[in-house]
Amino acid sequence: MAEVSARGVRFHVQRLGTPRPDARGVVFVHGLVMDNLSSWYFTVANALAQNAEVLLYDLRGHGRSSQPVDHYAVDDMVEDLAAVIDATLGGRPVILIGNSFGALVCLRFACAHPSRVHALALVDGHLGGVGFAEQMTATLALQGEARDRAIARSFQSWLGRHSARKRTRLAVKAQELIEKTTLVADLRSSLPILPQDLTALRVPTLALYGENSDLRRPSEELLTAMPNSRVVILSGCTHSILWEATAEVRQMIVAFVGDQQKSSSL
Amino acid sequence: MTPSREEVLLVVADLIRQVVDEDWIKEVEITMDTSFADELELESIEFVALAEKIQAHYGRRVDFAGWLAAMEIHEIIGLRLGKVVDFIVACLSTSQ
Repeated sequence: MAEVSARGVRFHVQRLGTPRPDARGVVFVHGLVMDNLSSWYFTVANALAQNAEVLLYDLRGHGRSSQPVDHYAVDDMVEDLAAVIDATLGGRPVILIGNSFGALVCLRFACAHPSRVHALALVDGHLGGVGFAEQMTATLALQGEARDRAIARSFQSWLGRHSARKRTRLAVKAQELIEKTTLVADLRSSLPILPQDLTALRVPTLALYGENSDLRRPSEELLTAMPNSRVVILSGCTHSILWEATAEVRQMIVAFVGDQQKSSSL
Repeated sequence: MTPSREEVLLVVADLIRQVVDEDWIKEVEITMDTSFADELELESIEFVALAEKIQAHYGRRVDFAGWLAAMEIHEIIGLRLGKVVDFIVACLSTSQ
């Protein structure tokens, strides 16, 4: 298994495609708790890797990365991302693509390191506006069956259904992350993104939202502060657009990345 | 010489056992007809690890990631060992 050791964590990474000196590397960031890099692997990453160098990694505590006890704040994940890019693609600016919570990590990374980001694609992203931490941790802080139901609702696996073995293992992993680490407390203490944080951010950004996603309206408001952002609404979809409209999402991201590669002045 | 389907099946079955690395998988019979999702109950992240091992084992002659890229999720979910084996054998026979 390919790994990057950084910041006291072993990060599981997958590198796809071929390094190309004439193109930007593309980095995918997955969502929170029940998610891992496989959701990108089976939807968009391999298709994009036909024409670009692609990096996928599991966030700390997720998938096949190690699970440290602490440092799960959004800014910790941003510095994890910087370290993983440093160890793989080097210092060249990259195109970042994030799903749900992963989109927040990407946007925060762009705010903290604007010169390192060539373009951003956000897929039904939690954009970390005021109140985001409370909303996000409300589900995670539930106990027992209530939490299992909430997690089951919010997570759709690649199978769309869970066998007994998978359900048990996913639940155990989620429970460990929530109960044995400082994840919930760290997210609660993470600061929100404000419109004024985004007004100077000129990174070309494509944001996709489900028409019926709870995140759509607050995110649209925040994105109006970003000068080079474009929002596309997918009709009839909820938060899980990566699963509900996989082909559309893939097509739009591949086209967006292609356009951004052309505009790249390497 | 191109390996036979049976030889490739043995290799892939061994890689599956390495990825899952739990006691129960040692006892399970893995055949051409075994389904990744319904019978082996591989998690998606385990399938990614398996794809990486297949790629590492066969090298450039087998573009496993490229093959998956052309598939929709429901096709990957429905995969049986035999289809993976046939793909690998086809790649190896054309690269002779």
